[in-house]
Amino acid sequence: MALIEFQTGLGRLLREHKSSDPLHGVNLDANEKRYFETLQETAGFRFCASIQRSWCIARAAKSAHFTLSLLPDKERQALLDDWVDAGAGTNSFFDAEGESFLGFISKRLTDPSHELSVCQFEQATFRASNGASSYASPDLSGLANTDRKLRHGRHATLVRLYLDPSLLIESMQTRKPLPPLSTEPLVLMFSPGLPQLCNAPSEEEIATWEALDAPASVGTLLSLNISPETLAGLLEQGTIDYAD
Amino acid sequence: MVAFVEVTPETICRQRGNGKTTEIEILPDLMELAQQTCGELPMVIHGVELSIGSAHGWNDAYLRMLDSFQQAWPFVWHSEHLGFQTISGDDGASLDVGVPLPMPPTKEAAALVASRGDAILQRYGVPFLLENPAHYFFDLPTDPEIEGDIGLLHSITETSGCRLLLDLHNLYCNAVNHKFDPFKAIDRMPLDQVLEIHVAGGSWRDGFWMDAHDGRVPERVWEMLDYALPKVPHVAGVVFELLEEHAVSLGPEAIADELNHARNIWNARRAA
Repeated sequence: MALIEFQTGLGRLLREHKSSDPLHGVNLDANEKRYFETLQETAGFRFCASIQRSWCIARAAKSAHFTLSLLPDKERQALLDDWVDAGAGTNSFFDAEGESFLGFISKRLTDPSHELSVCQFEQATFRASNGASSYASPDLSGLANTDRKLRHGRHATLVRLYLDPSLLIESMQTRKPLPPLSTEPLVLMFSPGLPQLCNAPSEEEIATWEALDAPASVGTLLSLNISPETLAGLLEQGTIDYAD
Repeated sequence: MVAFVEVTPETICRQRGNGKTTEIEILPDLMELAQQTCGELPMVIHGVELSIGSAHGWNDAYLRMLDSFQQAWPFVWHSEHLGFQTISGDDGASLDVGVPLPMPPTKEAAALVASRGDAILQRYGVPFLLENPAHYFFDLPTDPEIEGDIGLLHSITETSGCRLLLDLHNLYCNAVNHKFDPFKAIDRMPLDQVLEIHVAGGSWRDGFWMDAHDGRVPERVWEMLDYALPKVPHVAGVVFELLEEHAVSLGPEAIADELNHARNIWNARRAA
């Protein structure tokens, strides 16, 4: 058997164990197909498959540690199983898939909820951190053109926490039930150009973020009493960006 | 107690992008911390992400990262696992399997790894070592001329400049799971090519002894070290491997015990 067919066959059997025909498209003759059929029944293959699955689950769990800590065991396991069954969790750099996994989890959480807030917090951290290493502030002179459109920065997120962060952490550690949502959430802004990636935004900065739920022109934002200085600051730190 | 350190560069890196545009970038803060921690000790590299045996292509992003790494922090030698962990996807992009897999002992596999080993040797200008893997497959495709896993190591080291990282715990795993005598297996290894030795701990899972790097070195593996050391004329060091997540539960005293144990066997056997 050619090396590439052996590797593709074995790799597919391990990655796509839920597929009805994982070897589809692999160039195998009848003997080679029989080899893989027999291999799948061996204790060694089953053991390797169980290691692969447990490693994939462990990688995914690591990438969403805080969010998963807040969820009941059954829900947590179901999320991990569904994620890994879809073929994820194979990348050794677990944080490479972290943002996607948190996005997958967030769609299954109640909005608003403490769990969703923490999920968005973790996702925002990945996003800002991924953007930070190569981040360069755009040219601010574009703000002089009032027709120039702005949007949310690609690596920026605004997160609302409905509980003091120290109480959230305590709850993760002790598995105590979470209290009701606070009516005065703590707002945090994540941006790749911020020294610590995160700060508590001003009212005007929050208003700017919300005004940019869809791209808007500089002129529109100025007409909402957002100052040019605020726009320049947000642009410089990557919270907002030019839309074109 | 520690004469040199072994660094897995991926642990201080992050991956960006995906598929064909993947890059692995060194995180400067972690690099600085690693350098401070290691001080003036000589440093060798032990990579896990190269996938040197992948027929569709090895991990170019890993090598680009290692180029930068060597510029910032030169290493005395460089080692990798003999195996593959990526396959080609339908769109040609590289797919991670999620677990390292063994090379079949075939002429094609030997030739592929030998040529890539030589390319790495030329690229970095320091010795390049391949580690014998633990694996759980009893029936890999084979060419009779190669004579199994150990024959594959012979074939690669005899046709290239690659040297060997003899992982005694991996050999022990295979001996336990595949039911052979590890001491006889040591004798069959290309011992004159061994530049480094690994020892580690493992554990039972589902009826297999697993290369888990989760604890103390089994007594049998210490016996294997004692047996092997006088037979490897070019060996330059022994490394005790332990995964980060098990370091706290094992504790600093037990870790120091393992390092001292390795040192005592080294002194007894290499001085003799």
